[in-house]
Amino acid sequence: MMNSESGDMTKEQMKTEYYRSIAKKLALLVVSVLGIVLFVGLLSVSNYEGIGLKETYEIIWNHICGNEYPLKSLEWWADRYIWNMAMPHALAAILAGMGLAVCGTMMQSMMSNPLADPYSTGISSGACFGAISAIIIGITMNSMGEEIGIVTNAFLGAMIPALLIVFLSQRIHMSPATLILLGTAISYFFNSMITYMMVTTDADTLKSAYMWQIGSLDGIGWSMLPIMFAVTATGSAVVMMVSKKLNVLSLGDNSAISLGVDVQRFRTACLILMAIMTAAIVSFTGIIGFVGLVAPHLVRMVVGSDNKFVAPLSMAVGALLLLAADYIAFQLSSIPVGVVMSIIGSPVFFALIVYQSRRPGAIY
Amino acid sequence: MLFIAMFIAMAIAMFFVTLGFGVYRITVPEAISVFFDHITGNVTDVRDDYYVWDIRTPRAIGALIIGAGLSVAGAIMQNDFKNPLADPYTMGISSGAFLGATLSIVFGFSILPMFDGINATVVNSFILSLVPMTIILVVTRIRKLSPAAMILTGIAVMFLFSSITQIIMVISPSEDMASAYEWRVGSLSSMTWECIPIMAAVAAIIITILYFLSDKLNVMYAGDRAVQTFGEKADVIRIITLILVSLLTAAMICYTGTIGFIGLVGPHVARIFVGSNNRYLIPASAAFGSAFVLLADTIAKISGTNGLPVGVICSMIGGPMFIWILIRQRKSAWM
Repeated sequence: MMNSESGDMTKEQMKTEYYRSIAKKLALLVVSVLGIVLFVGLLSVSNYEGIGLKETYEIIWNHICGNEYPLKSLEWWADRYIWNMAMPHALAAILAGMGLAVCGTMMQSMMSNPLADPYSTGISSGACFGAISAIIIGITMNSMGEEIGIVTNAFLGAMIPALLIVFLSQRIHMSPATLILLGTAISYFFNSMITYMMVTTDADTLKSAYMWQIGSLDGIGWSMLPIMFAVTATGSAVVMMVSKKLNVLSLGDNSAISLGVDVQRFRTACLILMAIMTAAIVSFTGIIGFVGLVAPHLVRMVVGSDNKFVAPLSMAVGALLLLAADYIAFQLSSIPVGVVMSIIGSPVFFALIVYQSRRPGAIY
Repeated sequence: MLFIAMFIAMAIAMFFVTLGFGVYRITVPEAISVFFDHITGNVTDVRDDYYVWDIRTPRAIGALIIGAGLSVAGAIMQNDFKNPLADPYTMGISSGAFLGATLSIVFGFSILPMFDGINATVVNSFILSLVPMTIILVVTRIRKLSPAAMILTGIAVMFLFSSITQIIMVISPSEDMASAYEWRVGSLSSMTWECIPIMAAVAAIIITILYFLSDKLNVMYAGDRAVQTFGEKADVIRIITLILVSLLTAAMICYTGTIGFIGLVGPHVARIFVGSNNRYLIPASAAFGSAFVLLADTIAKISGTNGLPVGVICSMIGGPMFIWILIRQRKSAWM
C-alpha cells in the first residue's frame, strides 16, 4: 500500500507515510484491546445485575490478585457470578475469536485465496458430522455422558478430513487450487451425510442439530478453557513465528520455492497446525462462521497484507468481534452468537470493501 | 470433441434409464416404449402413460436442464473470477433464494401478493435471489470493483441474508424449520410440466448466448490486462456474463431449491477432460452436468419416496469421485 507511489515521493513524505502506517497499526491494536476490556466488563455486568461497570473491574482485579470478600456479602456473590458465569463465556469468545481469525489469516495467505477460511479444508463438516451423529444417532466415542460425547465426537470428526487431506496431499501435485478443491470435495461428502441424517430424523432433533451447526458459546465452563487456551496460544505463537514464510508463500508457489521455502512441507505443517487449532475450538463451540473469513480481511484493509502485522492484529480484531457479538447475543437471549456476528459484521464489511476500493493501491 | 460426444451420449442414456425408476414398477425398456408411444400418439396403457409421461418425464427433463444450467453457470463464474472455488452461488444467489423460500414457508409471506402456497415460494426465491446481484451491480457502477472485491461483496451480502434466514429458522417451530431445511437441500420431486417451459426457455437462450461469448470469456481467463490488449472491456464482459449467470441460476433453483455441488464440480470434471477453452468447456459442462444430475436423481428415486434428496446423492457419490479424479489427473487443470 505504501509502496505504490514511493517512486515520486521525497524522503520527508516517505517518513510521514511510514509513521502514519505505524500509527494505524498501533491504533487498531489499542482500539481492539480497549474494546475487549470494555466488553468483558459489559458482559459481566449483564450477568450480575446490581453492580456498576467500575465495580465489576474492581471485582475481577481483586479476584485475580487473590483478595477475597467477606462471605455472602454483595461483592462475594457478584464475584461468584462473574467468575463462574461471565468469565468463562468471555474468555471462550476471546479464545475462539483469536484462534479462528489467525487460522483464517494463515489459510488465506497459504492458499493465496481471499475466499479461504479455517473451514476450507472441510474441518467444519467433519466436526459437524461427529457432533450430529452424537446428537441424532447417539453414537459417541466416549462414555462420559452426552455433553463430553458431543465434544469428543466433534474433535475426532474434524480430524478425519484433516488427516485425509494431509495423506492425499503426499500423493498428488499439491497446488493451492487442488488442495482447496480436495477440501471442498471432502466437505461436500460429509455435508451430504449430515444432510442425510438431518432429513431423516424428526423435526425436534433436527432443530437441536441445526443449533449446534450455527454455533454458540453457551454452556462453556472453566473445565473446557485450559484445552482451548493451550491450543490457541501455542498455535498463534507458531503462526507469528512463521509469518515471514507465509508472506513468501502468498506470492505464489514458484516464487516461494525460488526464495528457498520447502513449499510442500511447510504447507503440510500449516495444515496440521490449523486443523488442530480449529478442531479444538469448534468442538466446544460449534461452527462459528464469519470471524475466520472476515477478521483477516478487515485487518488487511487497514494495515496492508504483511502477515507479520495481519496475524496478531486479526487475532485482536477477531476476539473483539466475537466478544461484542456474544454480548449482543446475550442481551437477545435466543439468537445464537454466529448469527449476531454476521448480521452486524456484514454491513461493516460491505462498507469497508466499497470504501477502500476507491483508494489507490487497494489490495482487492 | 470425443469427450463432449461421450458426455452427451451418457446424458441421453441416463435420460431413458431414469424413466424406468420410481415408485411405480415398470422396467426400463417398457418405460422407453411407453415414452415413444406417447410421442407417436398411440397410447396403449393409460396408467403406464400417466406415470411415465406425466410424472417421470418432466422430472427427467428438469434434471437435464438443471444439470446443464448449473454446470454452465459454474463454469462461467470460475472463468470470470479465475477462482476454482467460485460456483453459481458465489454471488449470494442461494442465500437470497433461501431467504425468500423461508419467508414463504415459515410466515406464508409473498412478495407479490397474487401468489400463494408453493407459487409464493417460487416467486419469492426468484426475486430475492436477484437482490445480491443487483447490489453488486449498483456498487460496481458507483465504484469500480476488482473481481476479488466483487466476490467479497457477494460474501458480505450472503452473510447478511443467511443470518436473517438463520434467525427465522431458530425462532420458527420445528416442523416449519424442517420443511425450510428440506427446501434448501433441494429436490426434483416437485417438477411438473408447468415449470418445464420457463426453465427450458431460460436455459436454452442463456446457454446459447454464453456459448457465443466463449471467445471473449477465453480472453478474460488470461487476465484483465490481456483483455484490454485485445480491445475488449473486461468489466463489461464480466458484468454481462454475471447477469446472465444470475438469471440462469435463479430460474433453475427457484423451482428446486438450492441444489449444490453440481455447479462447482461439474465444470471441474469437464475441465479435467476437455481443458479450459470455453468453446469446448461450456458444452462439455452442460452435458456432464445433465448426465450427473440424471444419475443422482435415479439413485434418489431408487432410495425410496421419502429417501434421499438429489443434492445429497450428488455430493455423496460425486465427492469421492471428484477426489479420485483430482488424484489421477496428470497435470493440474488449474495452473
